[in-house]
Amino acid sequence: MAAVVALGVLFGATALVGVRQRAALVRGVTVRSGELLVAAQNLYRALSDADATAASAFLSNGLEPPELRARYQQDLADAAAALTVVSAATDGRSIAAVARITARLPVYSGLIETARSYNRQGLPLGVAYLQEASGLMREELLPAAQELYAAASAELDAARDRAAGFPWVATLFGLTTLGALGLAQVYLTRRTNRLLNVGLLVSTGAAVLLLGWLIASAVAAAVYLKASRDDGSAQMNLLAEARIAGLQARADEALTLVARGNGAAFEQHYVVVMQRLAGADGDGGLLGEALAAASDQPTRQAVEEAIAQCRAWITAHRQVRALDDRGEFNEAVRATVGPGDRTTAAIFSRLDEALAQAITHNGQRFEREATSAGRALTGADVGFVALTVLVLAGAVVGMQRRIVEYR
Amino acid sequence: MTVRHRVGRLLAGLLAVATVVGAAGCGADDQALPDHRIPADPPRPVGMRDPAVVPSAATNSPGSCNPRASLRPTGPLPPPRQMPARTAMARIVQRGRLVVGVDQNSYQFGFRDPLTGELAGFDIDIAREIARGLFGDPDRIQFRAISSADRIRVVKDGTVDMVVRTMTMNCERWQEVSFSTEYFTAGQRILVTRGSGIESIAQLRGKKVCAADGSTSIRNIAAAGTVPVSVVNWTDCLVLLQQNQVVAVSTDDSILAGLAAQDPNTQVVGPRFSDEPYGIAISKASPELVRFVNAVLEKIRADGTWTRIYNRWLRSLGPAPAPPKAQYRD
Repeated sequence: MAAVVALGVLFGATALVGVRQRAALVRGVTVRSGELLVAAQNLYRALSDADATAASAFLSNGLEPPELRARYQQDLADAAAALTVVSAATDGRSIAAVARITARLPVYSGLIETARSYNRQGLPLGVAYLQEASGLMREELLPAAQELYAAASAELDAARDRAAGFPWVATLFGLTTLGALGLAQVYLTRRTNRLLNVGLLVSTGAAVLLLGWLIASAVAAAVYLKASRDDGSAQMNLLAEARIAGLQARADEALTLVARGNGAAFEQHYVVVMQRLAGADGDGGLLGEALAAASDQPTRQAVEEAIAQCRAWITAHRQVRALDDRGEFNEAVRATVGPGDRTTAAIFSRLDEALAQAITHNGQRFEREATSAGRALTGADVGFVALTVLVLAGAVVGMQRRIVEYR
Repeated sequence: MTVRHRVGRLLAGLLAVATVVGAAGCGADDQALPDHRIPADPPRPVGMRDPAVVPSAATNSPGSCNPRASLRPTGPLPPPRQMPARTAMARIVQRGRLVVGVDQNSYQFGFRDPLTGELAGFDIDIAREIARGLFGDPDRIQFRAISSADRIRVVKDGTVDMVVRTMTMNCERWQEVSFSTEYFTAGQRILVTRGSGIESIAQLRGKKVCAADGSTSIRNIAAAGTVPVSVVNWTDCLVLLQQNQVVAVSTDDSILAGLAAQDPNTQVVGPRFSDEPYGIAISKASPELVRFVNAVLEKIRADGTWTRIYNRWLRSLGPAPAPPKAQYRD
């Protein structure tokens, strides 16, 4: 009898501890890892956006448009805020990347301000500083941000795998408890010649229920967690990568023009990034992948819109290059940032908007699925305690009475 | 009763174990804080090379010639818009505008004024004088910004009527295009921070000196025993000088003038240690246009226009010298 009770207690305890840990892990997926990923993504995007915006502002001769200046400042503030979150949440391995960004971001913004004051005096030196700043961004800041983003993404996956693990130990104890209860029943039947012992029956029933609940809740949580990846964070990752590629191509386009005929290296980078974004013919690349992975209508629609805008951009960019290569700089600038909705700036902002929408939408789906995973576990701890008590009480009461009767 | 007692003790024990296991999940906060150092290296311009790759010596120029000698003008300038029939000038007047290949990246020579987006500079003003000679109107001109590598091609294929773009006349290029008479004499010098005490290239031995990638200037400064650092664009050299990453910049004084004009704390010092006569490149098929341009240059040298243009753009090189003397081969 002591063995049955011990097994019952072990089963109940492992099930309870297991489900509480799982609930904590699921909460970790939604609250901690999910938000860390969003912060790392914001950091990466804000830095890329600052690079693109600073370069675009230089196209407008001397006085940069106030809205571009405001956007650049917002980018720096966003990057700093996201960096604080990332550095608070990150583990030892990523601390080097955080330190790199923290040390270099003020240097970057210093170079941009130097560039800006020279540009306002009408000196080409401003462009040289802008290019140096952009080089610092691309060679040091963006790779570090990308590293943090990859680490956050890996952490989310690891947390999700831990939260979705099968409760082997508790299941094993459960099966053993059921076996022991069965043996006890057989033993008592032989000793007392009664077919069934009500106490043991209740105990067995409670043990079966507990085991069933344990397995069902774990499986349900795992299913929701998988959905949170496939219908949420995986698509969000792909879309965010596409958005950042778009920002880099935008920066390249502006830097090529700003370089006044010395921008061949930026144009080459544009070609590389554009190929990554849209493939060689405009319907592959990251956007193609995102369309193939899109698992609901709003996402598909947003990605289709992004692909259409990307095609328009490639055509418009070709015109800009043709104008600039012919030496018609002012016309090329008008085709880039001039008035109207056919400029590359207007097309790009529609592309960026479509991707931003899709990212927000998939972020919400991620949260919904991860919350459902948590909900699959609600009440389990209370239920498990109650059932464990029932298992123990049934066994003790049932066996006690018979033993007392026959003593 | 003893049985019940034992069960109770067992239960208590197991619950205690479970509690400990559960609590162990919450990590301990006794880790040391990470220690991290980031070197405060100055940022580097994209494509900077330290030390620079020194280009190999120039291929020996084919034959020997006097690169300064051009074609003599035929008499005085015709009145504007009344060009002799069947000449390149008549065709340009017919078209309504002069097409000129220029630089948009050499401050003070040919550059985009960031405030207006328009081209301006010494070369641009010289080109406008030629438009004035043809049309009586310096604005009847279309500029085509071209790269240094395209200068000869656009003249040969007729994309432009002429190239006015800090172009050194040499015998090798004379094989491909014709040049006007010399309109500016450049030579390699050094740009240093004001008050640095440096006055000649000899004082830069073993020190870092900046020049553009692949330029002949690198060869000259490497030969003088300095440590050459190369960048993609000349303006990057001024950035490096301002950031104390190099102690001097060395190239044609025409380019140095553009750098010095952007930072009053720098100055062009020392004697010229190379000789670069600049000419206007024109197609070999239009010798009459070469003679016409030379006549325009004669006029602006004589009437003070050249000096006025020089003072407008190149004041940082000191007071205007006398205009370069025309030399003719026929």
